[in-house]
Amino acid sequence: MIPVIARKLVSLVLTLLAASFLVFAVTEFSPGNVARKTLGPYAPQESVDLLYHKLGLNDPLPVRYARWLGILLGLKADPLQDPALKLDFVDPRGDRYFGNFGYSSLYKASVNDVIWTRLRATALLAGLAFAVIVPLSMLFGVLAGMREGGALDRTISVFGIVATSIPEFASGVFLVSIFVVGLSLLPGTSPLTTDTGWPIWTQLVLPVTVLVLYDAGYLVRMVRGSMVDVMNRPFIRTALLKGLSFRSVVVRHGVRNAMIAPFTVILLQINFLISGVVVTEMVFAYPGFGRMILDASLFGDISLIEAATLIALMVAVTTQFIGDIGYALLNPQIRLR
Amino acid sequence: MTEENIHIKRLTVDLEARRINRREFVRFAALMGLAAPTAYAMAGKITGEPFAPSARAETLPKGGTWRIGTRIKDIKNPHAYSWGGYDSNISRQVVEYLTFTDADGVTKPYLAESWEASPDLKTWTFKLRKGVKWTKGDELTTDHVIWNLKHALDPAVGSSFIGLVHGYLLDDKTGADGKPTTELWSANAIEKLDDHTFRFNCKNPQVAIPEHLFHYPMAILHPDDKGVFGVGAQGTGPFELTEFELGKRAVLKRRTGYWGGDAAIDGMEQIDVGDDVSAPIAALASKQLDGLAIAYPSQYDALKALPHLNFFQVKTAETGCIRMHVASKPFDDARVRRAMRLAIDPQPVLEVALRGIGTIGEHTHCSVALPDFAAIDLPKRDVAGAKKLLAEAGLPNGFETELVVPNDIDWFQPMAETCQQMWADAGIKVNLKPIPGASYWDIWTKVPFSVTIWYHRPLCTMLLGLGYRTGGAWNESGWSNKQFDDTLTEAEGTLDLDKRKALVRKLEEIMLEDGPLVQPVFRNVFTFMDKRVKGFYSHPSNYFFGWKIGLESA
Repeated sequence: MIPVIARKLVSLVLTLLAASFLVFAVTEFSPGNVARKTLGPYAPQESVDLLYHKLGLNDPLPVRYARWLGILLGLKADPLQDPALKLDFVDPRGDRYFGNFGYSSLYKASVNDVIWTRLRATALLAGLAFAVIVPLSMLFGVLAGMREGGALDRTISVFGIVATSIPEFASGVFLVSIFVVGLSLLPGTSPLTTDTGWPIWTQLVLPVTVLVLYDAGYLVRMVRGSMVDVMNRPFIRTALLKGLSFRSVVVRHGVRNAMIAPFTVILLQINFLISGVVVTEMVFAYPGFGRMILDASLFGDISLIEAATLIALMVAVTTQFIGDIGYALLNPQIRLR
Repeated sequence: MTEENIHIKRLTVDLEARRINRREFVRFAALMGLAAPTAYAMAGKITGEPFAPSARAETLPKGGTWRIGTRIKDIKNPHAYSWGGYDSNISRQVVEYLTFTDADGVTKPYLAESWEASPDLKTWTFKLRKGVKWTKGDELTTDHVIWNLKHALDPAVGSSFIGLVHGYLLDDKTGADGKPTTELWSANAIEKLDDHTFRFNCKNPQVAIPEHLFHYPMAILHPDDKGVFGVGAQGTGPFELTEFELGKRAVLKRRTGYWGGDAAIDGMEQIDVGDDVSAPIAALASKQLDGLAIAYPSQYDALKALPHLNFFQVKTAETGCIRMHVASKPFDDARVRRAMRLAIDPQPVLEVALRGIGTIGEHTHCSVALPDFAAIDLPKRDVAGAKKLLAEAGLPNGFETELVVPNDIDWFQPMAETCQQMWADAGIKVNLKPIPGASYWDIWTKVPFSVTIWYHRPLCTMLLGLGYRTGGAWNESGWSNKQFDDTLTEAEGTLDLDKRKALVRKLEEIMLEDGPLVQPVFRNVFTFMDKRVKGFYSHPSNYFFGWKIGLESA
């Protein structure tokens, strides 16, 4: 197991390096430069030129990438914190520490001061949605798949397809029209503060529902497909012929085997829920990670985009790793090598 | 200031001869330092119209937190602000201005309690209100004010205030690095007379200095804060900023002992509602917010349908300038720029992009909402004429170009699409390139052809000075016209309204003939507030003032 983990870790580091370099390269093509974004649109060109020079933005791409990496690893001091630049940028952690993602030109603060609260907010949203999506999709997927073509299967499948087909911005607006404008039961946005007169849990209901509708529909279809496949296998027929009740065949033999294929897909939903919820966060003005990535990308805030990319990648690689292990546990035929 | 003042005398004669109306009299008399109620009373006496004092400030209900949906942008450097409707609406509750230009366009005393102009309009003496205390207890003095003026005029700060006062307070020079910069035209340009009196000694006459002092970057900060604003910053205003998180929210609490009398509300909370148009609607529907800082045409129908909201609007000079950079081909040819204007009929743009909530523009950036506006004959749409001009410019088959459209202003895209169709009739193929609003400000002075948001200013001359004077910091089109510059400087120093309007008309005609703009419409600024919000009105610059607000209990 340890060599497997070591190999995965090496591959994780290499993936992170490659991805961060790619992001660095891609943002080259976006208009504007860090100096201009840091000082604002109306700062005189001379001040921008000066900062541009001091930050070494004229250097070739690999040199700048190496410098960024040096700052991230705590090997170099962040030049933006140089008091001579008069940017007034102070990071309480100092200018040289491991995990220094630099300075966000959009939020005018250290990336570490910006990113974690938003990640926590999204983790809350994602965690709640995940906690509903998984049991719900397993239950309905199994119910639909155990009798392929039955009335229950058809009903659940149609509902699943419809739910998945409605984009989040549309379902968000539908739900707001019904529960906010029509019935006045829930708040329309989720600023995650109580000052707006609604408890925080009420602010989570609609965004979680939107995510559940969108994602559970898809997962139900996955679980159903796998369940149908398993229920047509010879061992199920054997179990039934052996005299086991349909219920215990489904519960004891069907479900476990049907979970193997969707297991990875279910774990992949964590990635979607962390970095793919941008539409839901926009519709509900939710102060989360997805909206932050969107704002950073539109603004061209390279430090924040880099940090967000690395975090999203870490989440992806970690869930994949857990997926591999879980897969092996569920299916003894698979061995980790 | 007394009735003996030469400027007031001249205005009185104009009013008696009905060359100006009552509103214009009050506006300019106030600008010349006459207290607004006195100006209203004098106007009443002259015209015989009964003097209607401004409604007594209604007794506002006490308590509560006013919650406004907005965008929470960077607020660190007030003198370099660029989003008056967002950033300055946080700081203006804490730090104040020397003057106050209200929604009716009348400039009133604020931190300055009075002012007086010399007959030649070159020397302006301002008296500060006494007894105004900063948060930590020291009194506002001339030294503080002069520090602020000089800080804002330091080219390194990057304040748009420079563009505004360039014509009468600054000289161009070459910096140590060989690049062009500016400095005060005389060491005595801003002069301290005593602890509560200071003077502008201008190189050219200027009529609008009191209005310039309400330009949103010209907030008066405590010098100890070194030009930086944030939580805990000192102010003379009715609130203190207690919490701030960019992109999320700003919390302001009432300060006791405010010189203007304590605010009725306990505090304000400004909440970031993002760029999605539906989120603010949902927040208002569920009463999470009491109102919006700025509402847009695409939100109008949905918000109008919510019965607990009041609608507020005001005519303004806020607009989207479709500007052509004169250094880029084919816009370097004035005939091409004229053809671009000639191909457009503004009426469909008003209907499609603004749902009729606005006024027609005449491609001059001068709005009918402004007192020094002079009506000119806008040529009717003439496609054949446009084609002829293009042919004369060597483009008989028209040309193809790309229009950059920032996507954070919801009515820009429909405006661009409407114009695109009209240009096509004249053989001009315009491809639209929507880009993120945040990225636009990196390129706004460089791209050949783009749409730029311009917010309201109280005078045509102020807008023209900011955006079109040769070499101005916000001259985004690189346009330069000596006759325009000279006429503008003359207009800025002319109080006589007839003469002034004649000069503005000349400026508009130059813009129409040679200028860098296609500018079909002005937007009425509008917003919605919960009916329990009392004392609110729309300000043409999207400003709001916590000390004017009361909240009825929900």
